[in-house]
Amino acid sequence: MEPGQQNEPEGLIYLNNAATSWPKPPEVIAEVTKSLQNPYFEQGRTTAGGAIDYPVATRETLAGFFHAEKPDHIIFTQNATDSLNLLIHGFTRNATASFHTITTELEHNSVLRPLHALEMKGTISLSTVPFTDNHVSLAAIKEAIQADTRLVVMTHGSNVLGSVQDVKPIAEYLRANDIFFIVDGAQTAGHIPVDLTDIPVGAFVFTGHKALFGIPGIGGFFIRDPDAVAITRQGGTGTDSQTLTQPVTMPERFETGTHNYPGIASLYAGIRFINTVGLGEIARTGTDLTNMFIRELKRTKGISIYNENPDLPVVSFDIAGIDNHEAGFILARAYNIIMRTGLHCAPLVHECIDGGKGCIRASFSYFNTRDECKAAAAAIREVAESAHR
Amino acid sequence: MNARQRQPQSARWQRVRIVKSVQTKVCVDGSLMKEYVLDEPLTEGFLKFLEQSGTVRYLDNLKKPYFSFEKEQFISIKGFVGDESVEVRYKNEFRDLMGDYFQLLLYYYQQGVPGREKLNGIDESLKEKIEIRLGT
Repeated sequence: MEPGQQNEPEGLIYLNNAATSWPKPPEVIAEVTKSLQNPYFEQGRTTAGGAIDYPVATRETLAGFFHAEKPDHIIFTQNATDSLNLLIHGFTRNATASFHTITTELEHNSVLRPLHALEMKGTISLSTVPFTDNHVSLAAIKEAIQADTRLVVMTHGSNVLGSVQDVKPIAEYLRANDIFFIVDGAQTAGHIPVDLTDIPVGAFVFTGHKALFGIPGIGGFFIRDPDAVAITRQGGTGTDSQTLTQPVTMPERFETGTHNYPGIASLYAGIRFINTVGLGEIARTGTDLTNMFIRELKRTKGISIYNENPDLPVVSFDIAGIDNHEAGFILARAYNIIMRTGLHCAPLVHECIDGGKGCIRASFSYFNTRDECKAAAAAIREVAESAHR
Repeated sequence: MNARQRQPQSARWQRVRIVKSVQTKVCVDGSLMKEYVLDEPLTEGFLKFLEQSGTVRYLDNLKKPYFSFEKEQFISIKGFVGDESVEVRYKNEFRDLMGDYFQLLLYYYQQGVPGREKLNGIDESLKEKIEIRLGT
């Protein structure tokens, strides 16, 4: 199919929302369309006026959503991976000597790969903390801390196990010990309340294209103390144009070049949609669908579920007697059900739960229905029974 | 009734040709995946042909009858009987040797028994090259 020929897929059951949510709320599509229909307006970059200044409006909306004190401390990036790279490399660039860093086995490659690259260069030494019952405890973090530990990078919610980590006590402990704490909220932002006034993280990372209902290509982070992270990108900001050094004021310190206006507009509308529906209602729907799906799978012989009590709408499982990629192929092509198979960019989790072979993951959104869950579970049952014969 | 419908089932496989390749990607393990659209749906006859040189798995209790074919070091194929598209994978180590092996399968399949014999000869030659490369 050529670009531009794609129609909305009929009868598609989309259960890959932990990767990218679909469908998007009509409000998001309308806002993106609106943003493309008018000349862009952003202070310092145009003489146009009268339209919405999406970066400013969205920063304020995000600050309200995450209970962040200063909207200017919300920075737009491409996605969570981009945010994590900017923060991790920026933090280490401030260091005068090699130091110790802690991460966890639950992490996505967006955390593991930047840290591994720095470890290979000798910039940091790295400890990877194990998880127990799908969670990483404060005790495990404390045990890994060394005299020169300066950085901890950890997920807020596992993209494979759907377990939300209790980051508040960890954040409090690390702050008291002057250790910079980056929390990867790619999987939690939009699913559960995040109160950055209450949780003293150094930085909180989010992406727009998952549960915040934005389009791919927009993400960001909140940073409490911008000086903790060195400037690693330079360029036009629309401000202070007479100086050849990057402004140190926020948000220009970390944002350079023209913004992704349609992406920011989608995030603006996505969060407003969540606020209208209510995060509680969205979470209840996700929990209901997830529990129902797990109940259905548990009735099926030959299915192993790796997370029977997830906090997020994510269910990882394996079908005996059939390769996961084959099962995913059959479900997609014969039943029109989209999930994700493989390692989900989280290789260390899989080493722990399935020996590194990977699994099938179903992940739900507010827009999935109970009928879709039942149909998906029935299709999986057919595949499992067929593989068992 | 058109010409295609008048033909007996046994002869329909003779028409199988690749119309186009719709997707090509290098997978995580380095293998090359290609998805082809064919001008005719695949039949059980093609699976019987494949069975003579590798392992065919056939799951017919699904919404669509699924098959996979594995000929180690040569090729793996996934698809559905009755579908006009098929996913083909070549292992990274021998991609250069196996480049058009799926087309060879279709070509010799249409020749029936003589085609099978010719393909066996090609398989032997490819096996030798694989063994030389593996140093076995």
